[in-house]
Amino acid sequence: MEKPTIHQARLSAKPPVTVKGTRQGLLFLLDETCPFDVLESGLRDVLQGGTSSLFSGPSTPVFVDYGTRDLTVDESRTLFDIFLGQNNFIIREWAPRTTARASLFSNTPSPVINVPEQSFFKGTIRAGQVLHFEGDVVVLGDVNPGGSIVATGDIYIFGKLRGIAHAGFEGDVQAVIAAVEFAPMQLRIADYVGFAPEQDGKPMQSPLEFAYVKDGALAVDKMQFLAAYLQFRAQLTQEDAR
Amino acid sequence: MGTGIVVTSGKGGVGKTTSSANIGTALALLGKSVCLVDADIGLRNLDVIMGLENRIIYDIVDVANGECRLEQALIRDKRFEQLMFLPASQTKDKTALTPEGVRTIVSDLKQQYDFVIIDCPAGIEHGFKVAIAGANQAIVVTTPETAAVRDADRVIGLLQAADLKSPKLIINRIRPNLVREGDMLDIDEIVQVLAIDLLGVVPDDEAIIRNANKGEPTVMRPDTKAAIAYRNIARRILGDSVPLMPLGEQSGLWSRFRKRLAGKG
Repeated sequence: MEKPTIHQARLSAKPPVTVKGTRQGLLFLLDETCPFDVLESGLRDVLQGGTSSLFSGPSTPVFVDYGTRDLTVDESRTLFDIFLGQNNFIIREWAPRTTARASLFSNTPSPVINVPEQSFFKGTIRAGQVLHFEGDVVVLGDVNPGGSIVATGDIYIFGKLRGIAHAGFEGDVQAVIAAVEFAPMQLRIADYVGFAPEQDGKPMQSPLEFAYVKDGALAVDKMQFLAAYLQFRAQLTQEDAR
Repeated sequence: MGTGIVVTSGKGGVGKTTSSANIGTALALLGKSVCLVDADIGLRNLDVIMGLENRIIYDIVDVANGECRLEQALIRDKRFEQLMFLPASQTKDKTALTPEGVRTIVSDLKQQYDFVIIDCPAGIEHGFKVAIAGANQAIVVTTPETAAVRDADRVIGLLQAADLKSPKLIINRIRPNLVREGDMLDIDEIVQVLAIDLLGVVPDDEAIIRNANKGEPTVMRPDTKAAIAYRNIARRILGDSVPLMPLGEQSGLWSRFRKRLAGKG
């Protein structure tokens, strides 16, 4: 089943009604500039014309966004009636600027999940230096022995981690620490503290690993599992948000 | 306009003063006019190594306080016409100097000499801040020990924060046979951690101690490995590209190859 997509809105002959499938349901974007009768017939076309079979089926939450158009009471009622004619539509929102539209165009998957701040640090973090970041941080360089990097979110190091890394500084136990060369003096995630196993009195060095909290303790795994862990974590976060 | 180079390390006893004396002398040997400045107030010893102890009348603190003119405090080296020395004070402490005072003195010296080499005290407190004030380049001296490398790393961070963006590294007192047996940090490892340009590697040499006690910089006698290492460093400061000299008789290409084989196998 093919749903009409946002690409339609980009065509030169812009249709009066654009339908977009979102995570929450169907979003109807009604053209703001075309005459009302064009809009009305366009909407009837979409819902009752050739494509009407697309919209039958199980109950669907529907969001209607009429943009900046000034609707009179009658016009409003006419449009509303067309939507009410669809038995399986549950109208969730009816507004000039719906949150569904806002979340669609700001590219965030859902308004509840807020993207944390992310920063880049280019350079070496040397002994005695303590760098503090809000949100996630990507380090392009090394963290030398005696240096530390602290972030409220995740820490990703494109270089050698030989100092101290503290992720989830404000208590986020799901934060991770990943490094291209992993030989930390000490690892901290939220309140958990650990250090790499020692080899000849030096932290054991291993390539491409990341640390996370698993069953109440710090665990270190190969980088190839990082994507899986991040996905798993995103699911947890979503469930929490619901 | 000359260049002000501060020689520093963080950790004490790694050879800052020896390096300052030898680099300064080597640059003078190469025909440059050089002024050595001892910024280690209260614990001066560059004068001892240079063998100029008995000629000190005024010192850098007197100059900073305006008790004498800069020219009055400068001592001409007994070996080289173009090598000058500005001694530190023995009686005052490090707080007797301010960064501004030193900056003025060093910039005056830079007008007259090709190189102003500043010997920095150990530590990263006031004395360090004063010593780096006038410099526009820095040399970090370290030895192949974890503690010294850690301190060097810290100092590099501080130098960079003070706008001395690309300090150069000297690895001092390396003992080729210990490195070969894996009991000493090797050069690659140190350079990797510190991530700055390597200016030179100086082997551990008894001649350094012998000559320091005689008040004669080792570079004067080119028969030792350390002397050649310092001469090479001076040439690199002048912009020549001089390859690192092989350390120890058995550390030629062949033995490095063998070592690598052993390391891999």
